[in-house]
Amino acid sequence: MKQIIFALLMAWSVTALADNIQYTMRVDGMACPYCAYGIEKKLKAIEGVESIDIDLDKGLVIVIGIESLELSEEKMTTLFQDAGFTFRSMKKGTVVDED
Amino acid sequence: MRRVLILTTLLILMSNVGWAHDPIFGIGPHVLFKKGIETAIEIDHSRATEKQEFIPALQLTYGITGNWSAGIEIPYAFKERYAASSQGFTDINIFTKYRFWRRDSLGLQESAAVILKIKTDSGSTTDTPALRTGTTDGIVGLAYGYEGRTWYRWASLRYRYNGTNDAGLQRGNKILLDLVAGVRTNLTSYTEADTVWLLELNGEFSDTTNLNGYNIANTGGRQWFLSPGIFWTKRNFAIKAAVQIPIATSLNGNQNQDDYRAKLVFEWHP
Repeated sequence: MKQIIFALLMAWSVTALADNIQYTMRVDGMACPYCAYGIEKKLKAIEGVESIDIDLDKGLVIVIGIESLELSEEKMTTLFQDAGFTFRSMKKGTVVDED
Repeated sequence: MRRVLILTTLLILMSNVGWAHDPIFGIGPHVLFKKGIETAIEIDHSRATEKQEFIPALQLTYGITGNWSAGIEIPYAFKERYAASSQGFTDINIFTKYRFWRRDSLGLQESAAVILKIKTDSGSTTDTPALRTGTTDGIVGLAYGYEGRTWYRWASLRYRYNGTNDAGLQRGNKILLDLVAGVRTNLTSYTEADTVWLLELNGEFSDTTNLNGYNIANTGGRQWFLSPGIFWTKRNFAIKAAVQIPIATSLNGNQNQDDYRAKLVFEWHP
């Protein structure tokens, strides 16, 4: 029983302390929120993506996803082309879960 | 009027999508994202002496690629002319747009597209006033757009070629010229409601109608309209509205010109 409880606690702690991944992308051509909606729709279709924020004034698309989320520049170039915008660059970082 | 409201409501409920950020009476170069689907309910209204039309239409568009979209427009018309009135499905339109040029920079997109639209000969046949023209017509056009965070401007040129019906009547071909400016007075964030104010200058230049090779008097001419409008969006939902007011008219002979035209569009990207 102790072993089961210990295993459950370990599993919980790993989940609770897992970091999220954040990708910050520079994208050109985003002028209006309505037009940028296609970006959100396409990014949300990727497995592991949890939330998306778009800063139109700074030309930034911020994607937060699970730790194993891997987005390549090549894939993003195609994705943004299909959405009607131009992908410029991408930075990867971590978001520590404060819970 | 109650039937109109019921029909419009039904069409909105049936639909599951919308359009893009383009002028309301003119046309812009915007296309839909790849594999995107848009639904729009467009309601056209025009009034002139002894004549009134109210035409709601369901428009469906599909993004074939990030630069190429195509769609269909199914209109249902309510028409009144003198003492007569009619209602029913009018001619269905099919259309496609290809964006052949695009230049993106921070918060700005400039682009240009070609447009092709075919008005099919598919409306109800026996009603008066007529709900169909009895012809297949084609429209080709070119559109340019400058879309910034604050300022917008568009220009478009379209040529409409009208077919000849079974009686040998060909309505005059038409050139349409549109110059549009827009401004966003409040720079909202991505998730907030967003408003763009528009002012369009729309020119229409029509040839005379001809019947079996003979020009018909009191047809054709030039008209210029000024059209204030609004484009309101919230996330993936948009409402467009504009009124087209004639400001300069030079029609051949004695013709009954429109007092005004109005357009209301509901769009949704699911």
